[in-house]
Amino acid sequence: MNRSIRHLLSITFIVLLAGAPLLAQNRNASARTSVNKSANVNSNKNVNANVNKNVNVNTNQNVNVNVNKNVNVNSGSYYGGGCCYHSNTAAVVATTAIVTAAVVGSRVNTLPPACSVVVVNGLTYQHCGSTWYQPQFVGTSTTYVVVVAPR
Amino acid sequence: MYKRWFCSILILGFSLSLAAQSSPAQKKGDIDPGAMAALDKMGAYLRTLNTFQVKSVETTDDVLDNGQAVQSDRVVEILAVRPNRLLVEIKSDDVHPFFLYNGKNFTIYGQLINYYATVPAPPTIAGLIDDLEDKYGIDMPLVDLFLWGSPQSTADQAITSAIDIGPSSVGGTTCEQYAFRQNGLDWQVWIQQGNYPLPRKLVMTTLTEDARPRHSKLLTWNLAPSFNDAAFTFEPPKDAQKITIAEVTASASNDGKKSEKGGVK
Repeated sequence: MNRSIRHLLSITFIVLLAGAPLLAQNRNASARTSVNKSANVNSNKNVNANVNKNVNVNTNQNVNVNVNKNVNVNSGSYYGGGCCYHSNTAAVVATTAIVTAAVVGSRVNTLPPACSVVVVNGLTYQHCGSTWYQPQFVGTSTTYVVVVAPR
Repeated sequence: MYKRWFCSILILGFSLSLAAQSSPAQKKGDIDPGAMAALDKMGAYLRTLNTFQVKSVETTDDVLDNGQAVQSDRVVEILAVRPNRLLVEIKSDDVHPFFLYNGKNFTIYGQLINYYATVPAPPTIAGLIDDLEDKYGIDMPLVDLFLWGSPQSTADQAITSAIDIGPSSVGGTTCEQYAFRQNGLDWQVWIQQGNYPLPRKLVMTTLTEDARPRHSKLLTWNLAPSFNDAAFTFEPPKDAQKITIAEVTASASNDGKKSEKGGVK
């Protein structure tokens, strides 16, 4: 296997890992939707920012569920700085992190595969491997916060 | 009137028209009292509507990291019965939530994910709007319709320029078009002519972003909707799952500016 094919494969691996456009753009701001409430402008942003912040904060501990995010967010600088070293680093981080448990209180936008729905005290939880997620509305979106096993 | 003035400038010559465009468009105090009166009349009329149904076809620009504005669409339908009943449906690419409010509880139901959450609510729509924003970070769609003409309205004091653009048709209805400026925001409203001074169209341009993102709404009104009181109380559909609503924390509102449209169903 020559060098360029290996290079190509490693990039392909990253792309498969990401499963989303590598050049995904964050949405930083929105048009105001009200003339009476200037605070209105920022509330969506704040809520979204919170979700994103938590995801970023938990990058290291919680890469198993955040792989897509990390690769997307950093793809620009990775590829800007040369190919293989950084790409491989990302892959290694993702691979090793899969065995790490998610941190209670961290928040993700998508669940890992193979979860089962469990209802405890009338509230719905998602049980994924050894991790329990509680779905929550954040604004009008839904996110999943890692919780201790409900009882 | 404004259109005619602008045309005459163009006729005067290219250099003069360039000069007109580069000069500050409107200074503070450049307010047409007629435009302000029309806004007040619309607000006062909105406050007389105890029951209404309105459909809003909306576009909103989001600004990407690279500074580019991209547009998304949504349709909002609201059934409001003052003072304490409200039904809202939002249809967008990512989410399809319903808000139900019966004067006691507020429920948000995400139809695409079949999750719902119910929380105790204040006794009035006005209280609910504040609660949603302050406690849960949920923007009430079409919030202006509930604020114009009320003591909570801030639009009147904020306006630094008010112009009557002239008659303009919206969906076959003759309206009067007005253009306003306030700090960081240029906006236009098309108010129906005649005895029912309803806003029929709104356009807002956010000036604080380089991309000048724009938001627009086209409004269709029904002032005599039929409804059933049970419509405002949530009956969970089969298999719907109960979850919670995240409360906005102090740190949430101070977080960094990066945000992403994610995790939405």
